[in-house]
Amino acid sequence: MSHVDDPPTISSVPGGAHGLRQAARDGVVDVTPMVIGVVPFALAIGTAIGASTLSTAQGLVSAPTILAGSAQLTMVEMTTAGVAPLVIVVSAIIINARLLLYSASLAPWFANRPRWMRFALAVPVVDQLYFTAAPRFDRGDLDETGRTAYFFGAAAWLVGAWVAAQAVAIFVGATVPEWVGLDLAAPLALVGLVAKSVDTTPARVAAVVAAIIAVVAVGLPLNTAMLLAIIIGIAAGTWMRAITRRTPAEQEVAK
Amino acid sequence: MTTWIVIAVIGAASYCFRVSMFVILAGRTVPASWERPMAVVGPAAITALLATMLFTTRGQFDPADIGRLAAVAVGFVVVRRTGNVMHAFVAGFPVFWAIDLLV
Repeated sequence: MSHVDDPPTISSVPGGAHGLRQAARDGVVDVTPMVIGVVPFALAIGTAIGASTLSTAQGLVSAPTILAGSAQLTMVEMTTAGVAPLVIVVSAIIINARLLLYSASLAPWFANRPRWMRFALAVPVVDQLYFTAAPRFDRGDLDETGRTAYFFGAAAWLVGAWVAAQAVAIFVGATVPEWVGLDLAAPLALVGLVAKSVDTTPARVAAVVAAIIAVVAVGLPLNTAMLLAIIIGIAAGTWMRAITRRTPAEQEVAK
Repeated sequence: MTTWIVIAVIGAASYCFRVSMFVILAGRTVPASWERPMAVVGPAAITALLATMLFTTRGQFDPADIGRLAAVAVGFVVVRRTGNVMHAFVAGFPVFWAIDLLV
């Protein structure tokens, strides 16, 4: 992502309804690897709900309401384990606090949309949608209307598949042979995005630092490790970006 | 009843996170000091999520087996070369199946 280098501009405006349909189709196509990645996770959560103390209705409602796998699975497992409701809520909220960062990063691309639409655009903000949409917006080939169509197109496919897969698992169960390794789909989709996103030194520094902290800090209470990892990774990447952006004269002064 | 309230509160809080900046930053120019960290949110968040998936289970250090780690490593290399995220599946799954057969 390069907001500083390439501020949001209206470049090639998609031509009318056809252009918007094309942008929405692009969103569907671009997010498909993420859909392949999240469906096994959704099946696993649905299966966990089926074996939990949650009712079918609670399981079905929790998917679109929370709309974030890690927080939802934490809620399901903690509820079944009889953990105090306040601890469950705090844990899930901390896990989902990273959504604030995605919101801050995506919001400038939709700054001039009507208020009601911005409220609607915020609904499907999740990891996979952010990872797909932000790099595409950085290319600068979509105007704000095109970005909206792209975002909603990708969101409809991603969220639809997520909720449907959970519903299938809750109602009929999901038994896939273990040798298939279906759980590998999510990390493979993410590593593909990592490979595409680490094209600058600050991005590589942010990625490596975040990965290390996520593992080293895993024992921290209330599932704070991932949020801490993201924040420290961002700080490291920002620091590296500041260093590499200095002019030779500034670098001399810094020495 | 308690479970319903828990689901509702988590859902409401998550939506507040999602919508907050869409409301606060509406119609405003984002300062450069803000944009710089935003440029590395993606790489930091993706790898934190990936590392959590590969090396931890329910809050404990628990690395994935060699087949999965090798598949992810191969997926990374292939996508770096081709630029197509779908190729991570095409290359990664056969590596996992092959190692699973051998080990």
